[in-house]
Amino acid sequence: MTLDQLLTDTKPALSQIYNQDLPELSEAKDWQSKYRILMHLGRKLPPIPEKMKQPSLLVKGCESRAWLMHYYNQHQDQHFFVLDSEARIVKGLMAIMLCLVNGMSNSELKKFDLAHAFDKLNLKPYLSQSRGSGLNAMMVRIKECCH
Amino acid sequence: MQPFDPVNFRGQFEFFQHNPDWVYLDNAATMHKPNAVVNAMSAFYQRSNSNVHRGAHTLSQKATRAFEQARDDIAAFINASERQQIVFCSGATAALNQIAFGLMHTVLKAGDHVLITALEHHANIVPWQLHCARYGVTLDVVPLDANHKVDQQAFSQLLQHKPKVVSFSHISNVLGHIQPVAQMISQAKAAGALAVIDGAQGIVHDSIDVQALDADFYVWSGHKLYGPTGIGVLYGKTAALELLTPIFGGGEMISEVQFSHSLFNILPFRLEAGTPDIAGAIGLAAAINWLQDINRKEMKNYKAMLLNQFFEGLNKIGGLDILSSPVHNAGIVALNVQGEHPADVAELLNQQAVAVRGGQHCAMPFFNQLGLAGAVRFSFAPYNNEADVATSLQALTQAVEILTA
Ligand SMILES: Cc1ncc(COP(=O)(O)O)c(C=O)c1O
Repeated sequence: MTLDQLLTDTKPALSQIYNQDLPELSEAKDWQSKYRILMHLGRKLPPIPEKMKQPSLLVKGCESRAWLMHYYNQHQDQHFFVLDSEARIVKGLMAIMLCLVNGMSNSELKKFDLAHAFDKLNLKPYLSQSRGSGLNAMMVRIKECCH
Repeated sequence: MQPFDPVNFRGQFEFFQHNPDWVYLDNAATMHKPNAVVNAMSAFYQRSNSNVHRGAHTLSQKATRAFEQARDDIAAFINASERQQIVFCSGATAALNQIAFGLMHTVLKAGDHVLITALEHHANIVPWQLHCARYGVTLDVVPLDANHKVDQQAFSQLLQHKPKVVSFSHISNVLGHIQPVAQMISQAKAAGALAVIDGAQGIVHDSIDVQALDADFYVWSGHKLYGPTGIGVLYGKTAALELLTPIFGGGEMISEVQFSHSLFNILPFRLEAGTPDIAGAIGLAAAINWLQDINRKEMKNYKAMLLNQFFEGLNKIGGLDILSSPVHNAGIVALNVQGEHPADVAELLNQQAVAVRGGQHCAMPFFNQLGLAGAVRFSFAPYNNEADVATSLQALTQAVEILTA
């Protein structure tokens, strides 16, 4: 497995999540369904193989670990990411975040406001504080990829 | 002394009236405060607030009397032989830092050993690491046995290194297991070591008699014993406290200051630099005085009954890895849903208004040894009730269902 391959596999997963799971999530009635969908969509992201999880890729959340890989296409000015987390709910939330930022230009990514974007998707209520900060740690790391 | 009445007891915590939907099972992190504590602190601020030990005025004398009365009450509570053996600090963490720093040079010199166990809270690991590294002192760690208990055989063997200090917890904050603390202290002392006990969880479970235990130091935090945050107790035998170099310098802790040097005050003030947490000490004394009016034995039995009910219920839920043993347990259950991350389990419980802690509980080395990402911890208090047990079991069943669907 290479980063290229992971990037290639991540793209269709993200568009499926965006087109299929997100609408489902917003229609879900009870919290049980919402969390089932969140965990299910996290599973759609291709996992980063253990061997590739270098310590430098580690993003420490409060109580769980996550990993981030980055590729910047200079010609097209686009940032691409692959991520993984050992906790499933937070991985689902990270997958949604990734749907929003993958392929962004450098200036778009710099300006991106996660809280605002999640608010627009009506996702904010699902984020408890601790969950939010694991996600925030990932967002901070993603932003650090900007130049 | 009044008999323990669970309904009346719970009724003394206003928190539950404001949070009727919540099941609070994170008591090992911090406990709720009875009205007796909140009222005593408000009364102090509203009626008697003044700084202590300094003013010539009557108000300051009154505040000083209340503060020093708190020290007396706490000394009686743990059966300390002298009031000066009670040093106020901000909590177990501060006390352990004072001890680790304070023993360097006076007791611990390059080449010496300090012995801790693999079950310790970070508060009883990191201070030793910090100061041992600086002074060339070796930190040895007693491993755990197959039941996640401190390996007593290894403990005896490591005592042969003749550690000058042995420091361990009375009760594990992760698993709730009660250590054979009296026996370990006597072994440590027979090996010539000072015995330091992290009583952050131990003080909650049972009455403590420091003279019977014969520990050199016994430290704890007020907030885990129905008291306010920000106040804790460093108990030490007088001779042991005399060995400590103060970690903080400042007002209150000196008897004479010149620019070239200062003379330290007597115990306990020598170790209490600055304005103390006066209201905190008064609140903590209110907590233990309130507690002493209740039959603690009945209270302990009631908590044990809840714990048993919980363990029985767990047996009916499949797919769990239960790390805690019901034997010699102070009311804590750490578990995992097989194959699932504790953060996910804790979040699904949180969604159902069951407050537990999921993660490594400030005991990273413990979980690393087991190769686990952490655990979900349910910790009980006597204000919990059978409905809490039932609701949390139901919520856990629901979480397992969602995770394994
Ligand atoms: C066994 C143990 N030791 C030390 C501490 C630290 O206590 P505090 O944070 O109040 O200083 C705790 C608290 O979680 C604990 O459970």
